[in-house]
Amino acid sequence: MALAFQRVDVPVIVDESKCLEKCTACIEVCPLDVLAKNPETGKAYMKYDECWFCLPCEKECPTNAITVQIPFLLR
Amino acid sequence: MSDELDPWLEMLKSEEVSDRLVAIKTLQHLGDEAALDPLIAALKDENSTVQKLAITALWELANPDAVPALLECLTSPDQGVRSEAQSALGELVSLDHLLKLLDALHSDNFHLQLNSLLLLRKIHDAQALPYILPFFQSDQVELREAAITTLRYLNQVERCFPALVTVSDPSEVVRRSAVLTLGHLYDPEVIPRLNQSLICDPDWQVRRNAAQSLAIHADLTSMSALKTALEDEHWQVRKAALQTLQKMPDEQLIPALIKAVADEYSDVRKEAAIALGNFTNPTAMPLAHGYVLAALQQALDDPDREVSIRAERAIQKIQASKQKI
Amino acid sequence: MEINTRWLKTDVLVIGGGTAGTMAGIKAKQANPDGDVLILEKANIRRSGAIAMGMDGVNTAVIPGHSTPEQYVREVTIANDGIVNQKAVLQTGKLGYETIQELESWGVKFQKDEQGDYDLKQVHRVGKYVLPMPEGKDLKPILTRQVKRHKVNVTNRVMATRVIVRDGRAIGAIGFDVRTGDFVVIQAKAVILCTGACGRLGLPASGYLYGTYENPTNAGDGYSMAYHAGAELSNLECYQINPLIKDYNGPACAYVASPFGAHTVNAEGHRFISCDYWSGQMMLEVWKELNSGKGPIQLKMTHLDEDTIAEIESILWANERPSRERFHAGRGENYRTHGIEMNVSEIGLCSGHSASGVWVNEQAETTVPGLYAAGDMASVPHNYMIGAFVYGRLAGENAVTYSRDIEHLQPDPDFLEAEKQRIFAPLTRPNGIPHTQVEYKLRRFVNDYLQPPKVDHKMEIGLNSFVNYQATLEQMGARDPHELMRCMEVHFIRDCAEMAARSSLYRRESRWGLYHYRVDYPEKNDQEWFCHTHLKKDESQTMTLFKRSVEPYIIPVDLNKEIYDVAVR
Repeated sequence: MALAFQRVDVPVIVDESKCLEKCTACIEVCPLDVLAKNPETGKAYMKYDECWFCLPCEKECPTNAITVQIPFLLR
Repeated sequence: MSDELDPWLEMLKSEEVSDRLVAIKTLQHLGDEAALDPLIAALKDENSTVQKLAITALWELANPDAVPALLECLTSPDQGVRSEAQSALGELVSLDHLLKLLDALHSDNFHLQLNSLLLLRKIHDAQALPYILPFFQSDQVELREAAITTLRYLNQVERCFPALVTVSDPSEVVRRSAVLTLGHLYDPEVIPRLNQSLICDPDWQVRRNAAQSLAIHADLTSMSALKTALEDEHWQVRKAALQTLQKMPDEQLIPALIKAVADEYSDVRKEAAIALGNFTNPTAMPLAHGYVLAALQQALDDPDREVSIRAERAIQKIQASKQKI
Repeated sequence: MEINTRWLKTDVLVIGGGTAGTMAGIKAKQANPDGDVLILEKANIRRSGAIAMGMDGVNTAVIPGHSTPEQYVREVTIANDGIVNQKAVLQTGKLGYETIQELESWGVKFQKDEQGDYDLKQVHRVGKYVLPMPEGKDLKPILTRQVKRHKVNVTNRVMATRVIVRDGRAIGAIGFDVRTGDFVVIQAKAVILCTGACGRLGLPASGYLYGTYENPTNAGDGYSMAYHAGAELSNLECYQINPLIKDYNGPACAYVASPFGAHTVNAEGHRFISCDYWSGQMMLEVWKELNSGKGPIQLKMTHLDEDTIAEIESILWANERPSRERFHAGRGENYRTHGIEMNVSEIGLCSGHSASGVWVNEQAETTVPGLYAAGDMASVPHNYMIGAFVYGRLAGENAVTYSRDIEHLQPDPDFLEAEKQRIFAPLTRPNGIPHTQVEYKLRRFVNDYLQPPKVDHKMEIGLNSFVNYQATLEQMGARDPHELMRCMEVHFIRDCAEMAARSSLYRRESRWGLYHYRVDYPEKNDQEWFCHTHLKKDESQTMTLFKRSVEPYIIPVDLNKEIYDVAVR
């Protein structure tokens, strides 16, 4: 078995200047559980490229820090 | 207060806006009834985002005790707060709040008045009638439009002479709604006014809405106006007129209907085909009847499948009635 | 590897907290407020399942004065080419209205006209069943509120992988926490499966694994769990294939837009659909038109006025799939000037839209005592959302009655251990093939070999590859509990692929329009195939198929006279 690691463009963009460290709203509502907190910065980010572009993360964010793009392969 | 709630209620008192935002968001997700009063208090937070989230949280709790406080939010200078409060109230108001809403109509706050007019639609209670009448003459077009629309949501109002003036309102937005409201009123002037609007109003949506209201009344005195409307320049008016005529088949209109089956717009052709299917008495005008069938036969080849299916069904309907004779 | 085990115990276990599951939980508590009811949810019930962001309307509202339950049953019987258990369909027809009223009392907004009556729309040519819900986006929070008010217990972020069966009855479930990686064993007296459709079966044309019509978390979990529990599944060859916005793969929402005057047309701008009802027959018409030289097809609003289009947009962009707006914007498409290109979707298994599911009777019982199923995964044809609520209710109430006088049973420790090994195996291979690649290839095979029109030789190759894929799954690796969740989903998908292939090869005729359009047997054959196709796991642990006769009709329908006219002139 040999593995490579490559970059992938993901749909969910988090504006770190607006993301609140103590808040986990987006993470809690994602039906695919793909959002997580970066333990170093305390900001949310999209950890896995598994997006249904359903938007509860964007709608529930109290500071409008999240923008969901249509996944690149579909755009 | 419960253990689960306490830390968040504490956080709600923080001086940091970001803490208060997190606290409110968490309370929203926890959905605990015990948080009702703190959430109502948060409607007065200095930060409008906290206010908005408090409104959403109260909306989700769906406790009608929050209604008076939410009504106050309608006077907020912040458009987002007003809009969220409006949505929340739409779900929470009931007959219990009728008097509060009628009171709100007397305030001189435009937003409060406007939103109260909208909310009265959820209650459908005719007791609101005398309170909305004055708004037909308001200076503000939004209030006139809201009032005449709300009128048709009040159950058991059959006549309303003061409403008739709105059919001639200078704003087409008001006239569009006025004409729809007249579909539900039975004053003797109603049908003549609708007939008039159908042929004379400069706004096509008013004319279309007039045709729809005339369908509810289905009165033969509208026949001449409807015939004129079949030649209206806007296809949606022609379509609406045809839908109304489906309820009132008149053999005098057969030539006009046959012409409509060849209209440029497929929906007009479709409605004309349906209308032609109502002429199931061939003995009255046998020649005209022959033309009806010929027109429908042609429509079977219409490139639009919907039109050809309706033509097929119309032919079947006519032929089935022939069998019975 | 240190694996922590959590033990849960409840009376009624509901697996899946979506439309059917939340209702099942609520109803179980209403039936017995002192009983213990647990909803196990892979995500968070607040925004989980097919209706995560709501629903723009009800497609099957049987409202007194506008239609009757008998008419509804007739419609569905015809739409499903006669192969229905009418008693089961009748439940949705009968109980749907009460469901709507109860949802309303909870705060769900159904569109009303000025008199305060339900504002039903005529979308089908016969019957008025479409009831818009312009504020449908709040559905899950409203249901969540009721779940909470009724004191239903909820465990989020735990995924079930197997139902535990002992002494011939369902006694609980096994799963794991998708964040902490804990092994979870739940003991219950009754189990209700509400895990939704198998929406991740075929590969979307975009190639994006999660760009599916259904919520992609609905990976056929319940289909697989029911199969392994020994329950019968029904008509899995009756695939779900939907008409969708191309690439976006979301619904075109013709049901919302057509009452406003929108048209579904071919490339020449003409309507072409003869079929009265959304069914496999209609999908066959769509597929034929797409391949006719008059394709592609589109949802057209360019003939409508600004105000009407703006109103359609405000409904479509607030509900169900709110990201539509940005999809169109990204493409420079505007309903005022562009028709929206549509296509047929990849295949799935679903009984909400089609008829493929776990077999249930009119009480939501599967063939395994103590095991119930509801929602998209339970085979009551064309059940949609109202049917999911109705069957969730039936399952919840019946599970309570059933569990009143029985006791918990201890699960077999060997069974638990074996399942634990199976679940956590990928974590022992952190350098194993990633689930993304394993899944992609599997689903591409599904497209290659099962996508209608179905060809025998292809299906046989497909079946063979799905059977052999079991070995490939054993090379799959995972690095954290989240990836483990995806690995287990791939197992479910493989099971569904094999079941879909075997069922398709079993039914030697064509039926249900495009859903089971079998080129080697292109005609419908009522003589031999007017029956359900059933599939179950037999004693030798393999898939076995057999016919089950259609229950005598309780509402007469003469299918020879009342077929949908799909002749393309």
